[in-house]
Amino acid sequence: MAGSSRRLARRVGAAAVSVLLVGGLALFGQAPAASADSASTLIVQGASFKNNFNPWTSYVQGDKEIITNIYPSLTYLNDKQKPAPYLADSWTTSSDGLTWTFKIHPDLKWSDGQPLTAKDAAWTLNLIMTNKTAATSNGALVAQFASVEATDDTTLVIKTKVPVADMLYLNAAGGAQPGIPIVPQHIWEKDVNDLAADSTLVVPTVGYGPWTLTDYKANQYATLTANKDFFLGGPKYDKLIYQQYNTPDAAVAALRSGQLNVALVTPAQRASLKDDKDITTYSVLGSLFLSIEINRGAATKSGKPIGDGNPLLKDPAIRQAINLGIDRDTLVQKVLDGQGVASGAFLPQQYTDDWQPEEKITFDPDKANKILDDAGYPKGADGIRTDPKSGKKLSFRLGTHSDSAQDAQVAEYFVPWMKNIGIEISLEPMSFSLLNENLAKANWDMLFDRWGSGPNPTYLLSTQTCATLPDDDGQNGNTDSFYCNPEFDRLFALQSTQVDAQQRMDTFHKMLQILYTDGNNLILFYANGLSGVTTNQVKNFMIGSTDSAGNYPPQNVFLNWRTAEPVAVESSSTNVWLIVGIIIAVVVVVGAAGTILVLRKRSTADAKE
Amino acid sequence: MAASINDDASLAGGAITVPPARRGRRISGGYLLRRVLLAIESFLVTLVIGFIVFSLVPSDPAQALSRAQAVTAQQMADLRKDLGLDQPIIVRFFRFLGNTFTGNFGYSWEFRQSVGGLIASAIGPTLLLMGCATLISVLLGLWLGVRSGWKPGSKFDRFFTGTAVTLWSVPTFWLGMMLLVVFSVGVGPLPRIFPAGGMSDPTVDPSGIAHILDVAHHLVLPCLTLVAVTFAQNLMIMRSSLVDELGNAYLTTARAKGLRDSEVRRRHAVPNAMLPAITVIFLQIGGLVGGAIVTETVFSWPGLGLLVYNGIKIPDLPLLEGTFVIFSGSVIVFNLLADLLYRVLDPRVKG
Repeated sequence: MAGSSRRLARRVGAAAVSVLLVGGLALFGQAPAASADSASTLIVQGASFKNNFNPWTSYVQGDKEIITNIYPSLTYLNDKQKPAPYLADSWTTSSDGLTWTFKIHPDLKWSDGQPLTAKDAAWTLNLIMTNKTAATSNGALVAQFASVEATDDTTLVIKTKVPVADMLYLNAAGGAQPGIPIVPQHIWEKDVNDLAADSTLVVPTVGYGPWTLTDYKANQYATLTANKDFFLGGPKYDKLIYQQYNTPDAAVAALRSGQLNVALVTPAQRASLKDDKDITTYSVLGSLFLSIEINRGAATKSGKPIGDGNPLLKDPAIRQAINLGIDRDTLVQKVLDGQGVASGAFLPQQYTDDWQPEEKITFDPDKANKILDDAGYPKGADGIRTDPKSGKKLSFRLGTHSDSAQDAQVAEYFVPWMKNIGIEISLEPMSFSLLNENLAKANWDMLFDRWGSGPNPTYLLSTQTCATLPDDDGQNGNTDSFYCNPEFDRLFALQSTQVDAQQRMDTFHKMLQILYTDGNNLILFYANGLSGVTTNQVKNFMIGSTDSAGNYPPQNVFLNWRTAEPVAVESSSTNVWLIVGIIIAVVVVVGAAGTILVLRKRSTADAKE
Repeated sequence: MAASINDDASLAGGAITVPPARRGRRISGGYLLRRVLLAIESFLVTLVIGFIVFSLVPSDPAQALSRAQAVTAQQMADLRKDLGLDQPIIVRFFRFLGNTFTGNFGYSWEFRQSVGGLIASAIGPTLLLMGCATLISVLLGLWLGVRSGWKPGSKFDRFFTGTAVTLWSVPTFWLGMMLLVVFSVGVGPLPRIFPAGGMSDPTVDPSGIAHILDVAHHLVLPCLTLVAVTFAQNLMIMRSSLVDELGNAYLTTARAKGLRDSEVRRRHAVPNAMLPAITVIFLQIGGLVGGAIVTETVFSWPGLGLLVYNGIKIPDLPLLEGTFVIFSGSVIVFNLLADLLYRVLDPRVKG
C-alpha cells in the first residue's frame, strides 16, 4: 500500500524532472545572438508579409518588398528616389513619346544558370497584358502598353497607346511601391494556366537580384541568401531573414535583446529606446497622410446624389471654417511626439520638390468663427450653431477606425476645436470594413482617411478623379471621397502623358493647388516612419543624409539591405550570459529536486498516518 | 461481459429479461447512432448559422483588397466575379457547403492561397502549443485540486487556490507581455532566456534534435502563459467536486475498512469527483484547435488563432468560414466523445 503512494510521488517527480530537463536543454541548446553565426545574418521585421511571393498575384507590401529583391526590374529607384539603370543599361524614347527602347545588360544569368535576356522581359510584360491572373498585381501598370517585343537578346521595345510619363517608375525595383518584376520565362512557361497555384512557390526560387529566396515558413519567416556577384554590387551580409512579429511590443522586445536587427517602432517606443546604447532610432520622412475627408454631396458618375451625408457640408463656408479650425502643428507635437510633418498637401513634400500652397491655411479659430457668423449660422445657447433655413444644428458625424489609436488621439483635439467654432462632432468608431462600406455608399459626413504615395503619384491622384465614382446602382466605385472636378481630371490626363519630368511636376503642382483649395480631403499630417536598428550589430544601414529637422529621406529596401554591414561582435558578452544562464538552470534543477524530496517525504508521512 | 454487468444485474434482481446492453457500461449501437446523428445535426445547424453571420459582416473585400493598389475598373469587376460576390446568396451558400465537405474550403482572399493549405500549415503549431498547455494545465490543475479539496482550508489549499484564481483573473495579453519583457528582454541581472516570438529560429538547422530543442525553447513562454491563465478552472472544478464528496458515508466505510487516507482519496473519492472535471477537460480539448488568438498573437505563434486574427480585417470570408468549420466541428466531435465516455465511466448515466 505504501508503495503505491510512493509510486505516485515518484511519477510526479519524474515528470517534473523531465520537464525541467527539457527546459534546461533548451537553455543550453539556445543559439547565441544571431550575428555570432559564422555566416553573417541580418534579421529584419517582416511587417505584413503573407508568404505569398507570387510575382503575379501578390499585392501586400511586405511580400512585394521581398519580390523586388529576388526578381529583377528594368530600373530601380536610387537614393534620390529617381529611376536608375538596372536590367536596362540605357533607354531612348521616340520623339512622339510612344516608343521606348531599352538596352538590356548583357551576359546576366538567372540563379539556375540560364541566360537572362530581353526575351524574358518581353514574355513577362506580354503575359501581364494578356493573362488575367498575371495581371492581378500589376495589370493597371501596363494598361497603356500597345506591344512589347524583344528584337534581340539585349533590346526591348515597348510601344504605348499614349505617351506614358511614368514608364521608368512602373518598371522600378525598390521604393514604397515596387514596379513590375521580370520573371524567368523557362520556369513560369509551364504554369501559365494556373499562375496562382500554391505549387508555383518553390524554394530556392529561380530569379535574379541581390538576394535569392531560399527558405520560408508560413507566417513565421523568410530567409534570403545573398547573391554576392550581383552586378550592381552584392550585399555585405550573407543572409537576410524577414521574421514576423505580430505586435510592435514583441518586435521591440526582440530588438532590445538583439534577436532582431531592424524593427519599426512607435513614437512612445522610440522615446523608451533613447537610453539603449545598442540601438539607434531613425526617423524617416513619411509618405502616408492622415486626413479627415468631408462628404460635400456625394454623387454617382451621372451626378445622381447618393448616401445620407449632411447637406450642410455642401456649403464651402462651413468646410473652410472646419479647415481653419484645425491646429496641425499641435497635432504633430501631441499625437506624433513631434515626429512628423504638419501639411495640408495631398502629396508628401519629398516627392513634390517641396511644393507650397499659394495661400497657406493656418490655424485661425477667430477667422473661422467670423466666416460662420457672416455665412448666417448663429450660435445657440449651448454654443452650437444652427442653420436658420432648416433649423438644424451644425452637428456632424465623424467616422473613426476603431482599431486606430491615432484616430482617437486626433479626435480628442479635433472635437473641442470644432466646438470652439460652434460645430458639434459625434464620433462613430467603426471597423475597417464597415467604414469602407459606409464610404462606398456615401453614408457618412466625415471620415478619417489614410493614403500613401511613392515618388510616382499617379495612382493616388487617380483616386480623386471622376472615373472612380460609382455607377447609379452604387456599384463599381473605387472613390476615396467622391471628389470630381473636370479641371482636375484634365490635368490628370495631361500629366500621365508628360514624359518630361519637369513639365509633369509643374502639372502636379497645379493639381495639388486645386486639391488644397477645394478638395474635400483635409490633410492633417505626414507621420515620420520610425525605425530602430541594433547599431552594435549593424552599420551603414540608412541611405541618404538627414535634413535640417533630422529626418532621413525615404528609405528603400532594395538599397538598405545591400548597404547594411555587420559589425564585428565581441563574443565575450554572449559567454557571460551563457554562464549566467547555466547557473540559473542549475539553481532551478537543484531547487526542484529539493521540492520533490520534500513532497515525497510528505506523502510517506501521509502513508504513515 | 459478466463482469461489466454484474452491478446492474444485482440491482435488477438478476433478471436476464432486460437486454444487457441497455443496462451495462457499454455503448449500444442504437445509442451511438443517435448521438452521432445528433452531432451531425448540430454541425449542419452550426454551418447555417455560421454562413448567415459571415454574410452579415459588412464588407467589400474587393475594395479592401485593392486599396492602395493600382487597379483598373475592369480588374475590380473581375475581382468581384472571382470572389463570387456577384452571385446570389443561395449559390454562395451551396458553394460554401461544397467547399466544406470537400475539405478545400475555397481560396483565401487575403493570402491568395487555398484555405485548406493555410489551415493545414497552421494546425500543427496550434495543436502543439494548445496540446502542451492543456496537458500541463489539466495535470497541474487536477493534482492541485485534489490536494486542495481533500483538506479544504489548509495552508496548501489557500495558497494554491488563491494563486490560481489570481492568475485566472489576469488578462492573457498583459501576462504575455510581462513574461516577454522579463524573460525575453531580461530585467536587471536576469539575462534573456527565451525568444520573443515565433516557433523556431531561422538560423537553427531545421531538422533533428537541434530543431526540437529550438521549438521547445520557443514553446516555453506561450505555454507558460496559457497554463498560468487556465489551470485555475481545472483546480476549482476538481476541488469543489471533491469537497462535495467529503462528507459521504462511503468514505467513512472505506476508512473503517482500514484504508489509509491517501488510499481512500485516490481509490474512492477522486474517481467519484472526476466526472465534472471530465466535462471541463473535454470542452477544453474541443477548443484546442481554436488556438488562443491572444497568446498566439502576442508570441507570433504561427497557429490557427493567428490566422484568424490576420483574416479578420479584410474580412477574409473563406478563411474565416474555413476556420469556423474546423473550430465548431472539433467542439462537436469532442462533446460527442465526452458523452460516450460518460457512459463508460459512470454507470448512472444511461442516455
